[in-house]
Amino acid sequence: MADLQLVDVSVRDGNQSLWGATGLRTAQILAIAPVLNRVGFRALDFTSSTHMGVAVRTFREDPWERLRLARAAMPDTPLQLIGTGLRFISWELLHPDMLRLAYDCLVANGVSRFVVLDPMHDMDAVRRTARMIRLAGADEIVGALTFTISEVHDDAFYAGLAAAMAGCPDIDRVYIKDPAGLISPERARTLIPAVRANLRGTPLELHSHCTIGLAPRTYLTAAELGVAVLQVACGPLANGTSLPDAQRVVANLRELGHRVDVDDHALALVVAYFARLARAESLPVGTPQEFDAAFLRHQVPGGVITTLRRHLAEVGLDERFDAVLAETGRVRAELGFPIMVTPFPQLVCTQALYNVVGRERYANVPDQVIRYALGSFGRPTAPIDPDVADRILSRPRARELAAEPPPATPEEVRRRFPRGISDEELLLRATMPAEQVDAMLAAGPARRRYDPELAPVLELLRGLAGRPRLAGLRVDTPDLSLELRRGAPG
Amino acid sequence: MSLSHEDVQEILGLLDDLDATELHVRTRHFTLSLRRDGPTGEWVQATTTPGRTAAPPPASAPPSAAPPPAAPGLIDVRTPLMGTFYRAPTPGAEPFVGVGSPVDEDTVVGIIETMKLMTSVHAGARGRVAEICLDNDRFAEQGAVLMRIAPERAGAAP
Amino acid sequence: MIRRLLIANRGEIAVRVLRTCQRLGIHTTLAATEVDLDSTAARRADRVVPLPGGPRAYLDVPAVMAAARAAGADALHPGYGFLSENPRLARACAEAGITFVGPTAETLAAVGDKPRARERAAAAGLPVLPGGEATDAGDAVDRAERIGWPLLVKAAGGGGGRGIHVVEHPGELAAALDRAAAEARAAFGESRVYLERYVESGRHVEVQLLGDGERVVPLGDRDCSVQRRYQKLIEEAPAPGLDPALRARMHAAAVAFGATLGYRGAGTVEFLVDGGAFYFLEMNARIQVEHPVTEAVLGVDLVEEQIAVADSRPLWTPSAGVTGHAIECRINAEDASFRPSPGTVTEAWFPAGPGLRVDTHVEAGTVVPPFYDSLLAKVVAHGPDRPSALRRLAAAVARCAVAGVDTNVALHAELLAHPDFRAGGVSTTWRPDRLVAHG
Repeated sequence: MADLQLVDVSVRDGNQSLWGATGLRTAQILAIAPVLNRVGFRALDFTSSTHMGVAVRTFREDPWERLRLARAAMPDTPLQLIGTGLRFISWELLHPDMLRLAYDCLVANGVSRFVVLDPMHDMDAVRRTARMIRLAGADEIVGALTFTISEVHDDAFYAGLAAAMAGCPDIDRVYIKDPAGLISPERARTLIPAVRANLRGTPLELHSHCTIGLAPRTYLTAAELGVAVLQVACGPLANGTSLPDAQRVVANLRELGHRVDVDDHALALVVAYFARLARAESLPVGTPQEFDAAFLRHQVPGGVITTLRRHLAEVGLDERFDAVLAETGRVRAELGFPIMVTPFPQLVCTQALYNVVGRERYANVPDQVIRYALGSFGRPTAPIDPDVADRILSRPRARELAAEPPPATPEEVRRRFPRGISDEELLLRATMPAEQVDAMLAAGPARRRYDPELAPVLELLRGLAGRPRLAGLRVDTPDLSLELRRGAPG
Repeated sequence: MSLSHEDVQEILGLLDDLDATELHVRTRHFTLSLRRDGPTGEWVQATTTPGRTAAPPPASAPPSAAPPPAAPGLIDVRTPLMGTFYRAPTPGAEPFVGVGSPVDEDTVVGIIETMKLMTSVHAGARGRVAEICLDNDRFAEQGAVLMRIAPERAGAAP
Repeated sequence: MIRRLLIANRGEIAVRVLRTCQRLGIHTTLAATEVDLDSTAARRADRVVPLPGGPRAYLDVPAVMAAARAAGADALHPGYGFLSENPRLARACAEAGITFVGPTAETLAAVGDKPRARERAAAAGLPVLPGGEATDAGDAVDRAERIGWPLLVKAAGGGGGRGIHVVEHPGELAAALDRAAAEARAAFGESRVYLERYVESGRHVEVQLLGDGERVVPLGDRDCSVQRRYQKLIEEAPAPGLDPALRARMHAAAVAFGATLGYRGAGTVEFLVDGGAFYFLEMNARIQVEHPVTEAVLGVDLVEEQIAVADSRPLWTPSAGVTGHAIECRINAEDASFRPSPGTVTEAWFPAGPGLRVDTHVEAGTVVPPFYDSLLAKVVAHGPDRPSALRRLAAAVARCAVAGVDTNVALHAELLAHPDFRAGGVSTTWRPDRLVAHG
């Protein structure tokens, strides 16, 4: 039937969905990199600027170093960065020349495939970003069609976008990104042909999360309908709110007569590695999800719902939860149907909460909603309701935020920091608090070795340091037994 | 997955910090023992790999066939080592001895090759070769009889 | 890219190849004779396929190929020794569509014929010792007179230090030729021999090469002069005390030789170094026992690079020069009189610590069969310079404790402590008392 390829998202999107992006450090990626390289994935969803910030902030590891080492260990599998083209690491807008510098550094350090993701689908912005990335020397640029359910996001809407993407010389392929896992097999049967018809041969990939259990089935439908590449995750980094499991997708595709040319042994080793790592580091394992019909309607991710409930409980307004959820739909429509992918669910829900508990609707507006209305996140897909826009933008705070100075050029940024620092360091210093970058540099080169079998042993031994002198220690579990002896003192 | 020497060095660093003298670790894939060598205080390691089957490892020496009892009056010449028995000094050359050859205690009657190293076989008795018991280029088990000597005097020592 | 590799070898090199394959995620099948079915390599491999036909089956091309087919292998690693330089195996792999991790059959045939390899080296401008093939007794006498005395008679199809005889004066020549021819026929399948001048004061210095069929790069050199009966005991990288210009010329000569072959894979060109001169001896078209010392000073995994060449990936070149110095001791199952000591190991403790690496197949319970070579372990010490590497190695070797078989640990301890070795640069005829043959 068809030849399918796979893109693996374990390191970035899987990690972000299930392990809060704090699951994998440089050494843990490098340990499996040679094997990952041999599986035969078309590319790895390796990093985003947010992901790079986490490396600095949480692990004090240099994301540029991680990229270089990963590239050296995986010369046969392209590494991908996903970005919106508006910002780098921080939420502030960057000057276009700073973005150019970022793309140059990313390509130089080993990224060869870029995803341009504009949740607002502002094609002018997408084309500008794709050109910038092309000039930086990327091998492959992928335009994202971000899926959501709303009255404006119908098949015709996506078909039109597909035509625009196909007409852009700086976009090599397109993927349908479904961050909330909303595409059912039935919807796929109309959406995918509509999109493909307008792609005129540009290859199409599908990336759909398992949030309400639809993606694994939708992938099989997609394979029938001519999607060339399916995006997957490995072992414990699959399922849950992450992507479908690679091994299961491969098995199912082959069962239906499709061909998937991957090294099954290497893939099994990758899965086993992440499973051992999850056990060693007490990280959760993704599991297949139940279908949730309400989610198709409100599309608010589980994490945001939990936060909402907590806020309402804190002010004694638990019973208003349903009202808040309903208000979310109204606010979303008024704001021009932003796609419910970070940061928009938080933005929309917070405004909905304020609207329900406040004196009147839009009496209180958080800065992020004001910025949204000012266009900092891009041009909304549908126009913002004029009355709402007016209420938001007439606020004094709106004038303050609008008067924020334009982003600084690289020359201006360079003047703020010591001379002679690398472009890579400059980009980090320009977008992150100084103490975080300083701490990262002080920590030195990242550790490069990791073995999930040994990790508990090393952690135990490290944990013993500084404790009163034990004569000995014995641990007995099914997976590990350990005995340590100390000689007589002196 | 097996341990690398870098992994072991990392563990040793931590053990040094703890003033530990011994560590034994068993996981599903390996066992590792580290301890301080008595005289030097430096570290030594021993690893074992779990067996793939429950079958016990093979016996250290293959059980030798019980040698047939010496014919009355004949002296057995046994192999000093297990290995491949060569009857001639080099391939294609004349054998050291044949049936009827006279020998004394020091006569070289054959070569045993073990692990690429050659060891001479001596007759160990005075007399004539009566029987060749193992062909050229055949493997001699532990204690195998290579040939028998008819001693010069009847009723020789056992 | 290679996905399923058959390892057609045993002992420590099988464990070595397995280690790299497992790190890279390549599926491994071990072909093992009956006595090796429970070896350390057999326990660690993903799969084991028995090699029928007794202990010599590692030399049986059809049996090895049958194992490769049974394993569904797309590649085969021959290790060293056995069939690693046998063109028939390389050809059988090529015909079966199995990637042979090594050079082409043509290259193996070219370097496997030692006199032809000498001629090729001479044609490429490399210095060679006076010598040549002896086609009959009369021809041999003429040739010998031109070479001078003493000289060596060597098997034309030989290798690994086997089939070599020293001839001191003309009266011994005829007998030596007959003996060598008969041994060569038995050991290597053909009776051709050649003569070569014997240089007593020479050092055995070899250059490691890596090639991809188009380019050849030198990966440093090694000195393997400490030998007994042509079997190496101690090796080190880089070769100590070489004049830099001489070293550079040797590397260039090795590369030139490799280039004439369009060499693919890892291989080693052996030279004899005598004062300020060097002479081509032979080329070994396989990975060598002593490769760890090169890996230590260059930070490379040679087995990984062999696989990369087999995968037609870009050729690795060293980004930095040699770092420090590394020395290796071959721990063999032998007693103090150099007699082999097969048996079952009951305990095996090896040294551990900074700068130390031990490559071994030996664990408690390992059976050391009498049918194969006696190598138990390679203890490698790396240090910032030769004295520190030597100190580290001497302390490490003393901590080897293997019970159940005899070992030559005590021999190594004495050799490492010997003032001649400490000074560095001993020749291949170095015979401290300890190395003189017994029995």
